[in-house]
Amino acid sequence: MVIAALLTLTIALAWPVPRLMAGMTTFRRAPRAALVVWQSTTVGAVLAALFAAPAALPYVIGPTAALADNATQIAVAVAVSGLIAGRLIVSGHRVGTRLRAHRRRHRRLVDLLAVPVGADGSHAAHMRVIEHPTPTAYCVPGMRRRVVLTQGTLDSLPEDQLVAVLAHERAHLRARHDLILEFFTVIHEAVPSWFRCEMAMHEVKLLIEVLADRAAVRATGVVSTARAIVGMATGAVKPEGMLAMGESPSAARLRLELLQPGPVAGLPAGVAATVMYLFATSVVIMPVALLVVAWATA
Amino acid sequence: MASNPPTRLGDLERAVMEHLWVSTEAHPEGLTVRDVHDAIGVTRGLAYTTLMTVLDRMAKKQLVTRERDGRAWRYLPASSRDELTSEALHHTLGELAGSQRRSALLRFLDQSTPEELDELRAALADLEQREGTHQTG
Repeated sequence: MVIAALLTLTIALAWPVPRLMAGMTTFRRAPRAALVVWQSTTVGAVLAALFAAPAALPYVIGPTAALADNATQIAVAVAVSGLIAGRLIVSGHRVGTRLRAHRRRHRRLVDLLAVPVGADGSHAAHMRVIEHPTPTAYCVPGMRRRVVLTQGTLDSLPEDQLVAVLAHERAHLRARHDLILEFFTVIHEAVPSWFRCEMAMHEVKLLIEVLADRAAVRATGVVSTARAIVGMATGAVKPEGMLAMGESPSAARLRLELLQPGPVAGLPAGVAATVMYLFATSVVIMPVALLVVAWATA
Repeated sequence: MASNPPTRLGDLERAVMEHLWVSTEAHPEGLTVRDVHDAIGVTRGLAYTTLMTVLDRMAKKQLVTRERDGRAWRYLPASSRDELTSEALHHTLGELAGSQRRSALLRFLDQSTPEELDELRAALADLEQREGTHQTG
């Protein structure tokens, strides 16, 4: 029973649940709670997958059987869980190495091209301005972080919108949104490709942008932030090769609609968030509880 | 935030690159370590050998190219400033934004088609109007 429940939980959390959750767009209104739900669902799925084989053991060999007599069964259980853990570790290593190599290369390039705006120790010490007409702003996270702006951004956005852009990027860096994304990317790539949920990755990325947008709203207000989002999206003079970008204006529009908190699924934001946090907690507890039950009752 | 040596080295590399870029027209044959040292090393109180090391490293990183001229090397920038800028922006928006690597850089900017941009502007106008009524009402 318990093993069936664990397997069901694994499959549910890995396949239908993320797809269902990605469709429940109302939860975007509570981006922080929604991100926690995504993270806990992911952790829950990983735990359930890791625990399935160990939970099956007491049923296969009986809880009181001497372990030495059942080496094969135990070896199989360890191998199954080990395989899953191994995939996660390999994926973690590959994603981490790749991201850091890219960031390092990019930071070098930026540092070679752009003059620091602020002096050492000043607020703007990590800011770099690249001489280019296309309005672009982004951050390079990591130990030696950078906020990169193009001259086109400085030229085309009025000051209140620049404040919004910088508040947005600083929010990414301060809250280490890169680590949240890295976590999801690692799990995403550890799963066989036919099993991956692209929608979930999209949703998580959107939620992270919404969080940063809301930091910008707190810094400079809704209208300035909205104008900045639109200004950045529309002011772009596209150099060749930059057209083939996915996720674009529709994402900017979604973000405009999500700048301010509002009712989630008809509930006041606070109530909805509480429910979401409770769900998040139970999703992590469930696989652990099932493993304990498996060994206690078998 | 404390400054660290790598950043200073980065600053120096940028200064060297900058100097090579502005000098290419006047000196298409390239500059020697002595030239670079005279231009940017002396005012910074840097030793000749520091510049020599920096240029050597930059050549190994393929930021600059060099040719033998008698007993000295002549250094030229491997790419123009524009080429490098374009590479940086494509690196950001293209490679890093590719499906697997998008997460490396969190972008504020989204690229788009004209129709979609119109819709976006309309959405902004709506929001401005809403906020406007909020404030007056």
